[in-house]
Amino acid sequence: MAESANAGMAGAAATLGGRNGNEGLFLTSLFTALAVWLGLALGLSGLLGGLGDYAPWATILLPWIPLAVAAYAAFNMVRTHPGSVNFTGNRLRGYAIGWLVIAAVLLVIAVAGQPLKPVMDLLGKSGQIIVDFCADYGYFLAACCVLIAVGLLATGARDEASEAPGRVERTFVQKLTAKVSAIPMALVAIGVFTGGTIWTVIFSFTNSKLLPTTKWVGLDQYVRLWGEARWIISIKNLAIYGVCSLVLSLVIGFILAALLDQKIRFENTFRTILLYPFALSFIVTGLVWQWVLNPDFGVQQVVRSLGWTDFVFDPLYNQDIVIFGILIAGLWQGTGFIMCLMLAGLRGIDEDIWKAARVDGIPMWRTYLFVVLPMMRPVLITTLVIIASGIVRLYDLVVAQTSGGPGIASEVPAKYVYDKMFLGQNLAQGFAASTMMLLSVFIVLVPWAYLEFGGGKKNNE
Amino acid sequence: MSDATLAIEPSGPKPKPIFSRRNIIVYGSLIVICLYYLVPLYVMVVTSLKGMPEIRLGNIFSPPLEITFQPWVKAWAEACTGLNCDGLSRGFWNSVRILIPSVIVSIIIASVNGYALANWRFKGANIFFTILIFGSFIPYQVMLYPIVIILREIGLYGSLTGLVIVHTIFGMPILTLLFRNYFTSVPEELFKAARIDGAGFWGIYFRIMLPMSLPIFVVAMILQVTGIWNDFLFGVVYTKPDTYPMTVQLNNIVNSVQGVKEYNVNMAATIITGLVPLTVYFISGKLFVRGIAAGAVKG
Repeated sequence: MAESANAGMAGAAATLGGRNGNEGLFLTSLFTALAVWLGLALGLSGLLGGLGDYAPWATILLPWIPLAVAAYAAFNMVRTHPGSVNFTGNRLRGYAIGWLVIAAVLLVIAVAGQPLKPVMDLLGKSGQIIVDFCADYGYFLAACCVLIAVGLLATGARDEASEAPGRVERTFVQKLTAKVSAIPMALVAIGVFTGGTIWTVIFSFTNSKLLPTTKWVGLDQYVRLWGEARWIISIKNLAIYGVCSLVLSLVIGFILAALLDQKIRFENTFRTILLYPFALSFIVTGLVWQWVLNPDFGVQQVVRSLGWTDFVFDPLYNQDIVIFGILIAGLWQGTGFIMCLMLAGLRGIDEDIWKAARVDGIPMWRTYLFVVLPMMRPVLITTLVIIASGIVRLYDLVVAQTSGGPGIASEVPAKYVYDKMFLGQNLAQGFAASTMMLLSVFIVLVPWAYLEFGGGKKNNE
Repeated sequence: MSDATLAIEPSGPKPKPIFSRRNIIVYGSLIVICLYYLVPLYVMVVTSLKGMPEIRLGNIFSPPLEITFQPWVKAWAEACTGLNCDGLSRGFWNSVRILIPSVIVSIIIASVNGYALANWRFKGANIFFTILIFGSFIPYQVMLYPIVIILREIGLYGSLTGLVIVHTIFGMPILTLLFRNYFTSVPEELFKAARIDGAGFWGIYFRIMLPMSLPIFVVAMILQVTGIWNDFLFGVVYTKPDTYPMTVQLNNIVNSVQGVKEYNVNMAATIITGLVPLTVYFISGKLFVRGIAAGAVKG
């Protein structure tokens, strides 16, 4: 009898990865996984809740799968360690009780929302919000709380029975304030950034018009997207703007940085002047350049009044070159920033390199081009990624400068997304277009991430 | 200069003539480029000080013959967007009402995040941080609508509070990175000493980290003030016409189709909108550069 209990204990320890020392690691990773899952489920089902017809399924299905797993683990635990489930044994179990109480409160409000109304009315508007919220999500949240309680209970029991009692409790409770204070970050990272992105991608396969619906249409939205002249023009514009702005801002930024790096006087003044457009809004930039490039009053008129009467320079009114008009404004605003990044990179180069190049008699421009530039690779790559992710977002500038005109000649993808989503009442088109934008960012981002973090995973332990 | 002890021989670089060819090229090109950068600002100011008849005569570069502040007054108090004609002032106050809580909330949350990430490393924290950093590269357009739904669900869509939340969310990656990097550079001994003296998470934050890192708080503030003031997309998506921030209202005033275009009023309105970030920029000087470079170079 005693032998079989021992065997059972060993088995439980083995199934939970309880080989010496690994236990804490196993449990924390289990909890991290659970937390990630929970955040995702909450974020997604919260979003799906807006649909009405999807919400019940999410609330019923999502929590119960891991709950079943946890319940099985707990059952195993109780079976192998009879008598280990006393609720006052250690702190983890105290927490479990807390979660159960929360679950009970949620359930009570969810079930008895209407009878409780007079009580809740005492709280004013927030009471109404609580009742509504619990009516929608009460069961789901209660299930989540029960799940957490079961997990805590199982961990507590496991902890007590391990060869180092109290170990897991300490690992888990340690730095609890830090963990709690990081909740907003976790919510944003999982709920908004991950959940929101996944949601948009999923709903780009539906037939959503004014409101999101779950009518599945496969790749139809993408087929339609690529069949639209406006989207094709947007992509072409973005490609032209992107390539030109990438190359020019890198080149100009580097030249400016090299000029400022010549140990000159008034460096701060020059830098202040070159950087000030970056402090301005894209809207302000766009409107100023719209005025400067105005053919009736701006540069064209001024040159004509100097006697050159057939001079033509009206980029904002010419369909073929309108994107270059926007490029001028974009470069004016952005190159100062690139220059600052480059200058920081240049200042990071060892002074001895310069001396060595000088001794070898290499002309300065060649040193810059063939010695310093390759050494600045990390800065260049970071700059490239920053410029690229900024280019994809190009929106305000176009809205201010041309509103997409003349005609649709200066449309860009970001504007397409906004117009379809909030003006055209064609949500799914907007989702599909924004998914394409996401894809293009990934194409830049993934190789960069691979280069940057690919070598070996950093470990903080 | 570095060899002060051996200063028997003349030291330092060879004196160069002021008008060497190199100097002329370097300073000449820098001055020309700076002039190019300053032209739009100059044109803005000059145009806003002219009357409409003078503008119609032509040259946008010529200084005003008769200086008038009428356009500024009109832009501030009378310019029309749609039906209401109370000028930019409303947008300005909306922007202020958005700016102050957004800056405070986002900095508080991000600094605590950065502090937890730098000094209280716990397992799993880096996963969230990595997602956050990657998230900052994702086009906003992808997350626009999900956030609309979230805000609508909690009843904040279209309100200023909603926009504050949005700014807090999207300011989080860069600010968290900024604070994390700064707090990591604070000597660990200080942290350990405080731990031994019995200070907890908040004790160390308020008594050690906060007083020691005021410069980085200023940098974060500059970053957020200019960023939030200049925002257009979130303003246009998450607010309603009577709570539009200044940039959105400016765009509506200038690009409205009805009525005669009053270029001087438009330019005055544009300057007024750009004045806040420009003031912050010129006052803060090097801190601004540090703010924008901190996220990029160490990231």
